[in-house]
Amino acid sequence: MAIRIEPRDPLTQAQGVEAGYAQTARRWPSQPLVRRPLGAAELSGPQQLARRLPPVKGDLAGYGDKRAIGQLVRLRIRVLDEDGAPLPGTVVEVWHCNAAGKYIHPNDTHDAPVDPNFYGAARLVAGNTGLIELRTIKPGAYPVPDTGGWWRPPHVHLSVWGRVWLSRLVTQMFFPGEPLNEADAILNAIRDPGARERCVARLVPSKTSEMIFEHQLVVRGRKASAGMP
Amino acid sequence: MSRLIPTAEMTLGPFFPREFAQGANDLAQGASGEVIEITGRVTELDGKALDNVILEIWQADAAGRFDNPAFSGWGRAATDAQGNYRFRTIRPGAAPGRAPHVNFLILYSGLMRQLQTVMFFDHAVDPVLAVVKNKDRLVARAEGQNRYRFDIRLRGGEETPFFDD
Repeated sequence: MAIRIEPRDPLTQAQGVEAGYAQTARRWPSQPLVRRPLGAAELSGPQQLARRLPPVKGDLAGYGDKRAIGQLVRLRIRVLDEDGAPLPGTVVEVWHCNAAGKYIHPNDTHDAPVDPNFYGAARLVAGNTGLIELRTIKPGAYPVPDTGGWWRPPHVHLSVWGRVWLSRLVTQMFFPGEPLNEADAILNAIRDPGARERCVARLVPSKTSEMIFEHQLVVRGRKASAGMP
Repeated sequence: MSRLIPTAEMTLGPFFPREFAQGANDLAQGASGEVIEITGRVTELDGKALDNVILEIWQADAAGRFDNPAFSGWGRAATDAQGNYRFRTIRPGAAPGRAPHVNFLILYSGLMRQLQTVMFFDHAVDPVLAVVKNKDRLVARAEGQNRYRFDIRLRGGEETPFFDD
């Protein structure tokens, strides 16, 4: 299928150097990014990625005497392209900190407890409707070192692949009603309120022991024929 | 037909799980072609090396074909505490209208969006290399037989050219 990629919209995508997020000024290029002609290299992509990145850990909450501490949640995340077509078989990587705001990563120096029953990394493959479901616990908030009081709101990191190389999407999912969302330098690097809103999951009614959050990810790319003049 | 707006990209953060970062930097295993090694160092402003930067590559097979079912052409590596990464792969062939090249995608804390760049093997005629001002910075340095060095400077002196698509 031929795929078309349109330039990023500066209102709905961050622009690089962001006030309030000091590292961006050390790492985002100082020179303007160059526009290049797109061809087969950029508009193709790995079709059988699940063979190289096999699924791991479909459940982060645990069972029996190996249960992680925290509010039980179920994440239902659907991956679509810009045409609204689901992406069955796409690989989704999910990682987040524990209920106390501590990551499993050795570089995390935050003075918060480690949960021996929580391992915060899962890789899943989307089903026929582009859906992944993950049972886990709600992540906590944590302070960002050396920033004079910036606290990250609870969030879930997501990494997904779309139809082609340029469809790659790495983003974060936030929880509704969190007061820290209002001041978060990462969420608020997105200028358009609607685009920010779409990064916040939706709480849906649940009759089980888990809170259910639904979320949608839209990867770049649409059929080359769709909507062409 | 109405269009959905792509989800806002956000930084990978500093804590991308090690187990995800490792184990996908050898594309040569089981592939036919000339095995090459690509190594390099990723630095920020002032040349400071960066730990746990995620680099993903996408390249053609030895015949210049993308997404050959027998050779996926996709790989991922992470930098170590000294900022160094390493890929083992096969030398890509020339796809129609293109010089042999390896596409790089960079994800990291402090990068609100992915960065894209391209490594070339020499100063070849290529439509993507043609639009870049500092072409030298996209040409890998040969270090012995089948070994290439491709350093990536995110910002500052000798800054690597990056693409926006």
